[in-house]
Amino acid sequence: MTERLVHGTMLARLPLLAFVAWRNLWRNPVRSGLTISALAGGLVMVILYSALLEGMVDQMIASATERTTGHIQVQRRAFIDDRDLYATLPDDWAATLEAQVDRIHVAPRLYAAGLASSKQTSYGVMIEAVDPARERQVTSVLDHLRAGTAAIDRPSGDARPRHQVLVGAQLAKNMQLAPGSELVLVTQAADGSIGNDLYRVAGILKPLSPDFDRMGVLMSITAYRDLMYLDEGVHELAVRLDQPDELTVTQDRIRQAVDGLVADRPLDELGGPAVVRNWREINPAIADMLALSETMLLIIGLIVIGLAAMGVLNTMLMAIHERTHEFGILLAIGMKRRWLLAMVLCESFFLSLVAVAVGVTGGIGMVAWLGEDGIDFSAALPDGYDWAGMVFDPVIPLHLVAGHVADASLLLIAITLLAALIPSWRITRLKPAEVM
Amino acid sequence: MPTFTPISTRRSAARTAGLLLAALLLVATTPAQAITVDKLVHHIDRLWHGETSHAIMTMTVETQRYQREMQLEAWSLGKDYSLVVIERPIKDRGIATLKVEENIWNYLPKIDRVTKIPSSMMSGSWMGSHFTNDDLVRESYFEDDYASHISFEGERDGRAIYELTAIPRPEAPVVWGRVVLEIDQDTLAPITSRYFDEAGELVRTMRFDQVEQIDERHVPMRLTLQPEDKPTESTVITYQDITFGVPIERSFFSLQNLERRR
Repeated sequence: MTERLVHGTMLARLPLLAFVAWRNLWRNPVRSGLTISALAGGLVMVILYSALLEGMVDQMIASATERTTGHIQVQRRAFIDDRDLYATLPDDWAATLEAQVDRIHVAPRLYAAGLASSKQTSYGVMIEAVDPARERQVTSVLDHLRAGTAAIDRPSGDARPRHQVLVGAQLAKNMQLAPGSELVLVTQAADGSIGNDLYRVAGILKPLSPDFDRMGVLMSITAYRDLMYLDEGVHELAVRLDQPDELTVTQDRIRQAVDGLVADRPLDELGGPAVVRNWREINPAIADMLALSETMLLIIGLIVIGLAAMGVLNTMLMAIHERTHEFGILLAIGMKRRWLLAMVLCESFFLSLVAVAVGVTGGIGMVAWLGEDGIDFSAALPDGYDWAGMVFDPVIPLHLVAGHVADASLLLIAITLLAALIPSWRITRLKPAEVM
Repeated sequence: MPTFTPISTRRSAARTAGLLLAALLLVATTPAQAITVDKLVHHIDRLWHGETSHAIMTMTVETQRYQREMQLEAWSLGKDYSLVVIERPIKDRGIATLKVEENIWNYLPKIDRVTKIPSSMMSGSWMGSHFTNDDLVRESYFEDDYASHISFEGERDGRAIYELTAIPRPEAPVVWGRVVLEIDQDTLAPITSRYFDEAGELVRTMRFDQVEQIDERHVPMRLTLQPEDKPTESTVITYQDITFGVPIERSFFSLQNLERRR
């Protein structure tokens, strides 16, 4: 065996070197087993963490785009800056954009500030008006109900029929509103008069954002026009893409279409230009979180696997220390130092391979066991948690990304080999005469 | 009415040249000036109200987006009670604003409901004008909330004026950093009132003109409010008729009456 090791090319000898390395690994099965467990345990943690982080990010994107924002929004500059009531876009843009740009759905919206009143007290509210049929194509806000129905497009059954509204959960609690309650809204209408009307609460919305929860009143565009005397125009067009990954391309297309529409029929001066923004630009905090999560994953991975690699360092140090005599003999009978080095590195490589196999199996197993449904925090956080002005569900889904698992595995192998280099370096400096 | 006595004394003093000279001399010494300032502030605070008043006025609001003219009828009792009712336009007819001390309620006839303006909305626009709800609540507040002094006295733009600078007391719930009034020395009618924010920037200017003598006092019948950041916008209140000393009970200014009125 030694004969075959000494002669021939490196490549031809590699299978034999690998074989010897593999056998060497199991000369002390307990020690190797412990090291593998440490490495595999670290990998399981990293995989779980990546699945959790990815799940949170997915949930954030979904909450950001599917519930309220949509993927892209079109607004006037003065509306973005000052919530200028008069900074509107023409009514027909929603249908025109949908016709001109493929695979998008557009929903018009209107906003106003007002007062929800009773004789004792009043609360400042944020009125949002939607076209229920179009809104359902773009966001799920109308299905996000805690109580009641989303019947804002139907009048109430009163003697004098009233428009129906949805209110935020906290506002409902503050004003003691339930489905069927009466609500008085007072606001300054577009013509300067006092817009006021009586409404019926059709339903209570689950938390969407802290602001909307506390102040939000959702009504139909018809009801809004009756209240505000704003006969035409909308403040916002929310756009949903069938293919969310075509965000930038579609945004450019919408921008071109908007430019075309403005060229045909210029907008008034005061409201400023029409601005097309995607959800990353609308919610920069969420977009930042996304960018941050990749970096966080790398740092956490480095720390966890780095710690586990200390075990490898220790194992290899011990293994080499025990076998200095043996290495001395091999060197004395003419084995080249670099082959010895290759063999020792091979041992750590196998160590890391076994750890990857165990860790990936364990990690995937854990994620599968916890379920793609996610980790449920609803006992501690019944209303979910809010972050960057948005409310998220208390159930955090786990989402395993194959690329992340592969990255973590490669990271583990690389760090293990790095850790093994230090003890291996000692072999190259062995003096056979001294160690024998 | 005892509160009227010092005003008329002050006014006859202002009319008489000799006494005016005496007043000017008195101004030079601090205690006398304190009295003058107090009387001046007292006079201004009660100029449009007296003990009780009844007025008919028009309010014209001009903004970049709309122009609006309203006919209003108003009653007041002291500085704590007032009621303003919209007579025209027809769409808003009967909308009433009741002020009792620090509270404001609106009565909305279309829905037959009374609503209270929360303190958070006090800086909001009143009836779509450039006046805020706060202006309504604190319309006569110089005496209570400000420490005033005469910062200029003499001729300006060909008129003999007093310039009264009012700085809010530390604990006063006032949004302004400083209010500067120009008051005509002859009639004691205000000419302008400039409102500065806490950084010392001019925020809005109120101009007073069309002075008419009503009973013992000279009352400017037209008030023009001009916000500094929107030079093209303004709110003008013109009094068609104002009567002082009308018999009104305190119970007139009640929520029950607000709802019963229509």
